[in-house]
Amino acid sequence: MSDAIAYATIRELGVRYRQRELSPVEVTRTLLGRIEQLDPLLHAFITLTADRAMADARAAEAALQHGDARPLLGIPVAHKDIYCTRGIRTTGGSALLADWLPEDDATCVRRWQEAGTVLLGKLITHEFAAGLQLPGHRFLPARNPWNLAHIPGGSSSGSGAALAAGLVVGATGSDTGGSIRGPAAFCGIVGLKPTYGRVSRAGVLPLSWTLDHTGPMARTVEDCAYLLQAMAGPDAADPASSRVPVEDYLAPLDWAIRGVHIGVPRAYFFDGIEPEVAQAFEGALTTLRGLGAEVHDVTIPSFHATPAFLLIVLAEAFAYHERDIREHPELYGDVLRERILTGALVTAAEYTQAQRLRAQLGHEMAEVLRDVDVLATPTTPTPATPFTLAQDPEFGFPRSNMLPFNATGLPTLALPCGFTSAGLPLSLQLAGRPFEEGTVLRVGHAYEQATTWHTRRPPV
Amino acid sequence: MREAQELTMEALHARMHTAGVTIVEPRLAMVRRLLDDARAPLRTLDTHTIKSVEPAVRFALGQETRHE
Repeated sequence: MSDAIAYATIRELGVRYRQRELSPVEVTRTLLGRIEQLDPLLHAFITLTADRAMADARAAEAALQHGDARPLLGIPVAHKDIYCTRGIRTTGGSALLADWLPEDDATCVRRWQEAGTVLLGKLITHEFAAGLQLPGHRFLPARNPWNLAHIPGGSSSGSGAALAAGLVVGATGSDTGGSIRGPAAFCGIVGLKPTYGRVSRAGVLPLSWTLDHTGPMARTVEDCAYLLQAMAGPDAADPASSRVPVEDYLAPLDWAIRGVHIGVPRAYFFDGIEPEVAQAFEGALTTLRGLGAEVHDVTIPSFHATPAFLLIVLAEAFAYHERDIREHPELYGDVLRERILTGALVTAAEYTQAQRLRAQLGHEMAEVLRDVDVLATPTTPTPATPFTLAQDPEFGFPRSNMLPFNATGLPTLALPCGFTSAGLPLSLQLAGRPFEEGTVLRVGHAYEQATTWHTRRPPV
Repeated sequence: MREAQELTMEALHARMHTAGVTIVEPRLAMVRRLLDDARAPLRTLDTHTIKSVEPAVRFALGQETRHE
């Protein structure tokens, strides 16, 4: 029974709540019990808000009795610990903020609360949302439920681990170079990096302003759509926020994808790719073709400029952290401190040239997206990295299949597309035109419904 | 002035001095590699023909991505 509740979808919970077969209080108690049982192994949570969760669940139960139809009513969620939560510790995964109690909620936190969600707590993040699990981290790192010796990806590491283990139904993530999609890929779940400006970043600790995105993580594409619906939209508190109207993400999910054009940019994305990743990706393309999609290769030469975007991340991260890291260097993990200080060594000319390459990539992608509706790539070139490798201080930034889509701001979805022979999840990445999250979700949903990868459960 | 194609340790030290930051000596090779890998695409950049600077992506209502 615990598993059936823990892995229920938002739609299933909503139906069962309204048929009085299940209550938000019962579901919340079940998940709190699982967290108590499994989190000592996984370290996904940094702060548990059990009292708050039960209060939210009771409020949801009362609202249900009055016929409240909000789809997220009584849905248990948790937030990555760079999202500010009023009166609830928000650490950023850092010793610098270890006891910080924000005075306000992040916009996304407030919107999910207003949608009727149940707040279970805060989820561990890599220190200040840096994308790697670097040595010297103040808090215990989250572990991958599919294999505890492997990282769950990051920086939204707790979000990925908690979802895969059935500890939460939805979670927030943030994505500067793949921090939503990476954990989604490594943990066998679904993560959406929306269009730059689609979801507010107000009240979320920044890493790199021009690349930072916020978005939902869940176990199914449909759940992602529900969660996005409740968090998308303009916000005066985020200067990057867009006033483009928010579309209905749920209704078009079941539309057929026959005739949808899918472009595959093979150059760059297949450099150094592991054979099992390539095999799973080709299998996914076959499935999409079987659903009626038109799949063909496309060429986007500037993907090869992607390593230069790290200069942007480093310089902007140093700009944000400069005062704190100069005054309190001891409060940063050793390797993260070194990486942030590296940002001080990027020259203005290099930063500017990297931005110009970024503009060129955006231009090329826009040209290709005139002819295709969606781009498809493997989300990561390898499955989840073992801790023994990730914790090596010599481990550099791996080649990223995800960073190009932060640079161009396009909506990008990661969803399960297979498993390695060792049982680690593999992932398909789909990117679309600006503000066409609906198309990306629709293609992802069609693929998901034609496969069973998302129904597998980790051994924990 | 254009630097050598690859960042030398001497150039790295000069940058650290200019920026007023200290990174411990045993880690400098790693930092140099990190910066050099990121700088690699810049070396092949033709600064005269590339499109003009756009500091961040911007989207106009109902239009495609605009890159200026």
